[in-house]
Amino acid sequence: MVGGKQLVKYLQISLLLLLLLLWGSLNPAFAGMIKGTVKVKGLRSPANILVYLTKAPTFSSDLSGAKVVMDQNRLTFTPHVLPVLVGTTVQFPNNDKVDHNVFSLSRTKKFSLGSYKPGEIKTVLFDKPGIVELRCDVHAEMAAYILVMRNPYWARTDEKGRFQIPNSDELKNLGILGIEALPPGKYFLKTWHEKLKSKRTTVIVEKDGDIDLQLDLTRGTPSVLYK
Amino acid sequence: MTGKKFIFMAFALFIIFLIIVIIREPSSAQNSGKKYKGAVLQGRVLSPYGPVENARVRVAGEEGYALTDKQGRYVLQAAHPPAARLRVTAGKEGYFNNGQIGGRSGNVGDISLNPVFLNDRSDYRFISPVTCAQCHVKLSQYWDRSKMAHTTSNPKVLDMFYGTDAFNRPGIGPGYRLDNPKSNGNCVTCHAPSVAASSPWSQDLKTALQPNRAEWDGISCDYCHKIRKVISDKSKPSGMTAVLERQASTRGPSILVFGPYDDVVVPPMAATYNPVFNQGKFCSLCHSHYEKIGKSGNWDPGQVYSDSERKGFALKDNTFLPIQTTYQEWKQWQDQLSPDDPNKGKKCQDCHMSWRKEMLPYDNYVVEGMARNMWASYRSPKNIRPHHFDGGTETQLKTALSMEVEGEIEERRLKLNVFITNTNGGHWVPTGEPMRSVMLLLRVFDSNNKPLKMIKGSRLPEWAGVGKVEAGNYAGLPGAVFAKVLQDKEGNLHVPFWKATRIASDSRIRPKDTLTLTFEFAMDDPEDEPTAEAELIYRPVIIPWAKKKNWPVKDISITSSAW
Repeated sequence: MVGGKQLVKYLQISLLLLLLLLWGSLNPAFAGMIKGTVKVKGLRSPANILVYLTKAPTFSSDLSGAKVVMDQNRLTFTPHVLPVLVGTTVQFPNNDKVDHNVFSLSRTKKFSLGSYKPGEIKTVLFDKPGIVELRCDVHAEMAAYILVMRNPYWARTDEKGRFQIPNSDELKNLGILGIEALPPGKYFLKTWHEKLKSKRTTVIVEKDGDIDLQLDLTRGTPSVLYK
Repeated sequence: MTGKKFIFMAFALFIIFLIIVIIREPSSAQNSGKKYKGAVLQGRVLSPYGPVENARVRVAGEEGYALTDKQGRYVLQAAHPPAARLRVTAGKEGYFNNGQIGGRSGNVGDISLNPVFLNDRSDYRFISPVTCAQCHVKLSQYWDRSKMAHTTSNPKVLDMFYGTDAFNRPGIGPGYRLDNPKSNGNCVTCHAPSVAASSPWSQDLKTALQPNRAEWDGISCDYCHKIRKVISDKSKPSGMTAVLERQASTRGPSILVFGPYDDVVVPPMAATYNPVFNQGKFCSLCHSHYEKIGKSGNWDPGQVYSDSERKGFALKDNTFLPIQTTYQEWKQWQDQLSPDDPNKGKKCQDCHMSWRKEMLPYDNYVVEGMARNMWASYRSPKNIRPHHFDGGTETQLKTALSMEVEGEIEERRLKLNVFITNTNGGHWVPTGEPMRSVMLLLRVFDSNNKPLKMIKGSRLPEWAGVGKVEAGNYAGLPGAVFAKVLQDKEGNLHVPFWKATRIASDSRIRPKDTLTLTFEFAMDDPEDEPTAEAELIYRPVIIPWAKKKNWPVKDISITSSAW
């Protein structure tokens, strides 16, 4: 006969196994990250270069709680480049001392928020992947990019040009949770920076760990996000 | 009095007290402490002829204002809390601005507006910009750095007038004087308007700056701020003319000025509110140029412009050539917008007199130094127009147009669509002088950097430059050019406006419009991944003219895009 204490122990072990099974089915064969460094010629800093996967495993994410902001202050959009996941709603607060009129005539997303006063906030849903060039109707110097990404596997380089995909810290800020690593497979990795020629390379993530890459970029015209 | 009656009366008095408090200060509870409720000010605006209706009344420097009724009365909800001395001002077109001090009670003494008696004097001597710069230091600096300040001495303008080159060598066309040796033309009307206003409007450009009484280079402060009205006048190149009111000091040493402020009531200025300063119409004085060609014209406007464009340019027949139409381009764009369009109401001043990053931090005054301490009104930066008049510059052009490239490979063909949008121009791009152009350059190559052969699509014309590509010669390359092309009766293209008899073509990009250009390139290997790079370049002077005149080719790269 199995004693009461043993029964509890068996149940605990079974529950643990069940949980492990469930974890496994939800996160199939996660293997690692793509890490690396970007070196650039012709730019002062290798920071803020977007490195991303053009195709990636399917995922699901609830973006309703995400607070993604493109600020307007001192005649500047901040950040200058904002990657977001398709389906994200971005807030456009006017924290300046003059009226602004944010708009885009990009084919990815056409909108015009009209002139609005300091202190007001307007929002836009970005529902199609691609590049959105932001402008202000009355301040010619104001320009920024919203990069609407198909999948959450992207990273922005730090001041030393380093990156890792996925970058769970950045994704958390955008309200995207639960993406810690990539499953094994073959991926196409690409770069985007407004002053650098885009580079595309193939990366194979094996079952047993992370990948380390070095990318050399030169000044030029960036390509579209997705062909 | 019994105890019950006493309690009842005390209660009734308390209720009445409460009601009075609520009526007098409905939100005093909310606003107590840090935030004060704005003052409510009331009074009348009168003139020697009686009450003034529709005068604009405000606390000096504040954004909000009230309009007076038929009796000249106003009730003004100010943003400023009640204070012992609030400067309440009033202004109306045709009157000198004036003001009164309002106190805590909210009652303001009658403000009397004196009419501007018309007494324009052609012998008036325009004030030097240096005088204005003593108080308006920053505004004058911005203006002095602009092209507006140096339109008379602009070397290209002088070369085009006299037929000289960059080294001042004579006899190098195009040159107005080479073709019209005995004529002074009408250049001074816009390039030296104070000269044109004070003496005959047809004058030699160079001597315009050397008369026995000095005038000032360019469009100077005092010239613009002496404009009382802008009216149509078919005798002028733009079809419009400024009605000036040139008067010497009318109030002691005060300077008569017209401007957009209705609240400037301080002694140095005898200021009068004039709404035209905040209207696109003001710019029509010079940013418009028609040439009458009479019956010698053999062109068909219908072949170049749509019905609505012809209407916008007021081209009823082919006896006029629209040389420069920046104002009309803006106006017809605005006229066709629906009332709820976010762009409705955008004016020239909104973009060409807006804040620039280099000017930050924002200023709250339009005067500096002692003048600020003595007379200035604290203003929102929204209510200040920096006089930089930026246009045709890198800053302005970088965001004027945008471009996207889309590609598709079908068997051994790469099909490309290039989308070019006039994103930020409130007029066609390029605008103004027809010697300006915008070029699209398309470079397509395979993965080994070998150029692909174009099998369908347009190429840049000969006037994009024949010669080395590195020197800016792009003729024959895949791409397109956007420009207005003038033609003479012999069929020569790109002639100066005084020789033109027709508009051969006008491919400039209309406001907020997107053009789609299609190209096809042959691919040797259908599995290859080719790259297409597109660049938009602004060229201020077409290269054949630049070469003749020895002017440097100063192209500005607007934007680029790749697929």
